[in-house]
Amino acid sequence: MTDLVVTPPPSVEEVHKTLASWTAEVEEKVRDSYAKTFGKSSGAPVAILAVGGFGRRELFPHSDVDLLLLTGAALPPKAVISEFLQTLWDLKLRPSHSVHTIEECTAEQTDNAEFTISLLDRRFLIGDQNLAESLNKSLTIFLKKKAVLIANQIAALAEGRRAKHQNTIYHLEPNIKETPGGFRDLQTIRWLQAIEPSENKPDLQPAFDFLAGIRIRLHERAGRDQNTLTFETQDGLSADPSDLMRTYYRHARLVDRTMRQAIETATEKKDSLLGRFHDWRSRLSTTNFTVSRERVLLRNATPPPDLTLFEFVARHGLRLGPRTVDRLNGFVPQAKWEDWKRLLSLPHASAGLRAMQESGVLAAALPEWHNIECAVVRDFYHRYTVDEHTLVAIDSIEHITDGRIKELVRESEHLPIIRFALLMHDIGKGSGRDHSEQAVEIAGRVMGRLGAPTEEIDAVQFLVRDHLVLSSVMTSRDLHDASTAKHLAERVGTLEQLKMLAILTYADISAVNPQAMTPWRLEQLWRVYLLVHEELTKELESSRIHDTSGAGSPQAQFLEGLPTRYLRTHSNSDVDAHVQLWRQLESRPVAVEIEQARGVYKLTLLTADKSGLFASVAAAISSFGLNIVKVEAFANTAGVVVDTFTFSDPHRTLELNPTEVDRLRGVVRRVVEGKLDADKLLRGRPKPLAPGKHRLAPRITFNNDASQAATLVEIVAEDRPGLLYDLAHAISVAGCNIEVVLIDTEAHKALDVFYLTAERKKLQAELQETLKASLEEACSGK
Amino acid sequence: MKKIEAVIQPHKIEEVKEALKAIGVDGMTITEVRGHGRQKGHKEVYRGMEYQVDLLPKVKLEMVVPDTRLEEIVGTLTSAARTGKIGDGKIFVFDVANAIRIRNDDRGDAAL
Repeated sequence: MTDLVVTPPPSVEEVHKTLASWTAEVEEKVRDSYAKTFGKSSGAPVAILAVGGFGRRELFPHSDVDLLLLTGAALPPKAVISEFLQTLWDLKLRPSHSVHTIEECTAEQTDNAEFTISLLDRRFLIGDQNLAESLNKSLTIFLKKKAVLIANQIAALAEGRRAKHQNTIYHLEPNIKETPGGFRDLQTIRWLQAIEPSENKPDLQPAFDFLAGIRIRLHERAGRDQNTLTFETQDGLSADPSDLMRTYYRHARLVDRTMRQAIETATEKKDSLLGRFHDWRSRLSTTNFTVSRERVLLRNATPPPDLTLFEFVARHGLRLGPRTVDRLNGFVPQAKWEDWKRLLSLPHASAGLRAMQESGVLAAALPEWHNIECAVVRDFYHRYTVDEHTLVAIDSIEHITDGRIKELVRESEHLPIIRFALLMHDIGKGSGRDHSEQAVEIAGRVMGRLGAPTEEIDAVQFLVRDHLVLSSVMTSRDLHDASTAKHLAERVGTLEQLKMLAILTYADISAVNPQAMTPWRLEQLWRVYLLVHEELTKELESSRIHDTSGAGSPQAQFLEGLPTRYLRTHSNSDVDAHVQLWRQLESRPVAVEIEQARGVYKLTLLTADKSGLFASVAAAISSFGLNIVKVEAFANTAGVVVDTFTFSDPHRTLELNPTEVDRLRGVVRRVVEGKLDADKLLRGRPKPLAPGKHRLAPRITFNNDASQAATLVEIVAEDRPGLLYDLAHAISVAGCNIEVVLIDTEAHKALDVFYLTAERKKLQAELQETLKASLEEACSGK
Repeated sequence: MKKIEAVIQPHKIEEVKEALKAIGVDGMTITEVRGHGRQKGHKEVYRGMEYQVDLLPKVKLEMVVPDTRLEEIVGTLTSAARTGKIGDGKIFVFDVANAIRIRNDDRGDAAL
């Protein structure tokens, strides 16, 4: 490979000079050719008009020379027209012509709106001046009469073209003519301005000069009308291509924003049914905001000091009005972690972030965002700049078509964490070191500043650090090799983290380019997900903590034989607290602790394992009208069980009657000690309502291969109060012992994993049948 | 001239490419494909639901090589792509009538 010679774009003066002199040169050639052909012919009169870029006196070398041959009712001889064009071809020009009468020029064009639009740039060059003047007159009237229609046609064409380029300026190799923010947008803005002049248009001349300089060089290099700013041409234009591209995006952003406002102004007047339908959203208006035509306008001069405006956008999937964007100039929101989480939990979170990005508020709120703003990272696959890739990734979570991934998202309670992790996942790019490691540091710093709790920082950091793990395994590891699953399970840690990572990976791949998430990749991703899912479920019972280094210490004794998951899901302070509870067992049979954290209650119970224990505790909790959402039950080698029940308080029983917390603790203790009959506790409570039409059919599966010593039972059923007790009760009635439990409820669906033994052995086929029947009955609530 | 079409495990692609490069084979077309052989897919259980997995992701390599190098290339390809387990894939060899380089109209082996 030869070294590229860097030829920077010409200066502004040179740009103007090049365009003006080339336009003049071509004009001269057209006049000459006219004189040699039509000038000598005695046929019907014709006027030659320059249209398109030529009409605007902005003709680029190697661009097509757009000409209109305007005729009266009688056409000039065909032979003369061909001769005229041939002469131009011989002069090495590329004429692109059309022959039309004045009537044709002033007819309403439904299929060929481009033609009417091209006439906006017309300029008389030579020929019959009378023809040109009558066209001027009729066209002025026509344009005035049809202004709204034509403005709408222009807007529709622009929207179609912009959509072809994914409506974003942030392409790594943009076509500077066609992509949003490019030349076509600049022209469109001018056309709309010509039809309906408006004030307060930003100065787009610097953008034009910059783009024109690049375009001149692109045409020069290619020797033809080539407008894609490829990596190679970027290298040829600047010794620091990423700097060149940042300048490009800065200009393109202004053009793009002005373009969108212009389209909106143009289509506002269209009092169509659709327009009226869109306006129903105005009912969403609040004391702070007005919604008109899907756009949010501020009622006050300044926005609310926090993220309220963007939450509003994210709740309803709206966009900011142009004036709103102007008013946000310099606005720095006061937002803590809880505000961010609220924003990121809303259904259209990506619209909220998009609005923040568009108005510059995102970088104002998170200065680290500057790292990746307009940042170019070159590889074969990425289509967008890093910031755009990030926003597209977050957006793609809202548009998943695959049922399996969609279900993961629908059930996830951690979308704010996943979205924030996506916001951070590439923020370390361009630092020169491993971008994941760098991003982990930045994410930690940002979240620390926002006041996020440690466990949520950990979760985000985990996702950021490992955001490439699943996709690299997808393509580079043997999925049938047992060590692949083991290695991944160790790295991912828990089922919860696996689900988050799978969603994040899906989003990240989807945002590489519009075609990146092929069915092939999706299948591979899902296979990896299943592989790790199976491994982690298996591991629950099989993989136990053993021989911890500080053997002999109370902590080591307590941990001996607990599932590995215990350590992965509990922080050091959790473990310390549990060891304290464990010590209480020296003086009493049961240790119970209840705490409240972020809207839910958590009951931790340590005691010696015995039959029916789990069912009794579930019954005690349910008898208070509390709804169990999550449970983990483990036992260590010494036969001490550590059960944690997480439950919500739908009737606010505990919240309104603080003494009930003490009573609950007492009831649990007495039930475990056998002083209170658990079955009686629930007897008085009403049974759930009759099943509705859309009830989820329970699915119960047994697996004897998942662990060496126990049978894995997986139950997926519609959740209802008391379900867990009924299931656990059925299990102990069947004479089975619960070794490990992991219960999760996700969107009214209970996902229960039990490891069971009967007389210290796996369950035999016959027992499985009986148990399955009674579990099904328990699920249906009979 | 022979055309080699090989369907292999996705994770083996880098290894195969490296091995072929080492013996001087650079040109090939690689496609991500899905399919099944005699294996006919298998069942996977997720949350108590059985999923029939019919089409497994594979990678397809295509290349046209001179007759003289065929055995060497197939040998390299086979040993690089082999794990010894079901699902390692297959290699097909076809006769090619001619090859033409569009740029300069080279024909036959010269066009490869």
